[in-house]
Amino acid sequence: MKGLARIPREESNVAPDPRAPERTTAQQPTFRDPAGQLHLTQDRVLRQIHPAAVDATLDFLNSPLRASLERSGDLVATEAAKPVAQETSDGGEKRELWLEHPRIDPISYPWEWTTGQWRAAAELTLRIAGQAVDAGWMLKDATPLNILFAGPRPVLVDVLSLERRDPRSAVWLAYGQFVRTFLLPLAAEKLLSWPLRATFFARDGYEPSALYAALRPWQRVRPELLDVVMLATLFEGKSGNAQKGGAAGSHGFDPALAAHILHKRFARLGRQIRRATRQEQRSRWSDYPQSACHYQAADSDEKQRFVQSALELCRPARVLDIGANTGTYSLLAAQAGAQVTALDSDAGALERLWRSAGKEGRTVTTLVANIAAPTPGAGWRNREQLSLLERLTGQFDLVLMLAVIHHLILREQLPLGHIGELCASLTRRWLLLEWVPPADPMYQEWLRGREHLYGAFTEEDLKQAFAAFFEVVDRKALGNGRVLLLLERSGARGPQTGPNPA
Amino acid sequence: MRKVLLLTVPTVLIIVGTMTLLEHRAYAYTDPGTGLLAIQTAGSALIAAGWYLRRKIYAVVRRISPDKYPTEEHSPTEDGEGTSRR
Repeated sequence: MKGLARIPREESNVAPDPRAPERTTAQQPTFRDPAGQLHLTQDRVLRQIHPAAVDATLDFLNSPLRASLERSGDLVATEAAKPVAQETSDGGEKRELWLEHPRIDPISYPWEWTTGQWRAAAELTLRIAGQAVDAGWMLKDATPLNILFAGPRPVLVDVLSLERRDPRSAVWLAYGQFVRTFLLPLAAEKLLSWPLRATFFARDGYEPSALYAALRPWQRVRPELLDVVMLATLFEGKSGNAQKGGAAGSHGFDPALAAHILHKRFARLGRQIRRATRQEQRSRWSDYPQSACHYQAADSDEKQRFVQSALELCRPARVLDIGANTGTYSLLAAQAGAQVTALDSDAGALERLWRSAGKEGRTVTTLVANIAAPTPGAGWRNREQLSLLERLTGQFDLVLMLAVIHHLILREQLPLGHIGELCASLTRRWLLLEWVPPADPMYQEWLRGREHLYGAFTEEDLKQAFAAFFEVVDRKALGNGRVLLLLERSGARGPQTGPNPA
Repeated sequence: MRKVLLLTVPTVLIIVGTMTLLEHRAYAYTDPGTGLLAIQTAGSALIAAGWYLRRKIYAVVRRISPDKYPTEEHSPTEDGEGTSRR
């Protein structure tokens, strides 16, 4: 068991609120990998290794490759959670191994990533695959579901993905999975405008034949798709029965040649991923902070100062920014030392935030999702992947909801009380909200002749609707008529454990 | 040049054909995909053919561009391209 380093625990600087909503973890243990199962409890990530896979797992955990990948941050840290061997009731020895990983919160699934995140996850997978080959190992699976984002950075979280390699084999058995789950979704987004979030319904990605049918003839022969779409579809048609769905012939090579072939394959996949990735595109909201005309510089400065002072008062360890857009306030919170989750339904805007967070080294995790229609649970019995609200409920010390409420009222037709209830379920203590009055040009833009329904809302209506959950702590009216409100959960006031160390 | 081509083309075809026909059970819980596995096998064979024939390829390149590649000792790299030892 030597070599399994201790994992530092995350320390929150905010006293837990006894009345705060609890995380509801409905995820069942994983079951697809025959080598082991992952158990996600309320605050721990435990991995149970089945007896038959214990030796192989320990072999990897004690390898220089594991140490190197952990050092670089490409692989999640691992420590032993229990002794390797346990006595069984009949006096025999039960070879079972339990491992523990640090939690990476929030869990982000591929259908909530931006295009750039997909590419980064694909490149990480290929980088690890290349390093593994050099060290005598092989990635046995290659799916975005094995990657999580710790802030803006992708991390491989499945230590069971690595197995000893036959040095004379040039086959990468996970090649098909990599193509289906990384390359083809990116190509489909670029060439067919199939949104990446549609992979929610395609756990194992897209079959080459599905893209072949959808692509125009000249698109099938593009350099990045010629082999993985056109030729693969032709081979499938001709040899489907003969190959019986699982045969390979690239064995018995000279070891140096086998490694050379594998590296060539990874390099080609890297080029294919680059070519298949859509360039960063403007979206409706990606230029919003620059183009918004309803904010004068003075109002904008005042808003930033208010948010800054709220961050200093609240000293949150974890912040949720709903409607984060390109992340002005997410980055502000991250600069103040918070671990930020930035949520927006506009992938173009979040792509910019993800890039900014990466460049500035801020712990901002981006999630492309709509808070009014949150991502549901997915997979087998809807319990393999947690719903968005199961992952977010009760996880944050401060929730930012700046210039979002009029979208929820006018576009989603949500009653104010429902919005207040949702906010109260997400935050453990603080809520910073921007009220947009009906006279505001953005409110008017969405009102569209529904004055009799939504035209008379006032700040008082908002306060009354939220009074069941929150108390107003601070208020700032801006020159443009908008109002910033710092709210605290009713009865949540408790002792602080100390200042934010960051 | 013609002699090299006569040697190269059949060799590549034989290697690709043999490797595509020879079947081994693939042990993985992920689906390797029939068509994609065949592509991988064929790709491996092509790279292997390049690996085995790289010296011949250097000879052709040297013959085509003797100025660029003078008759010095060449050492093939893993990429199948020669580097001159000076």
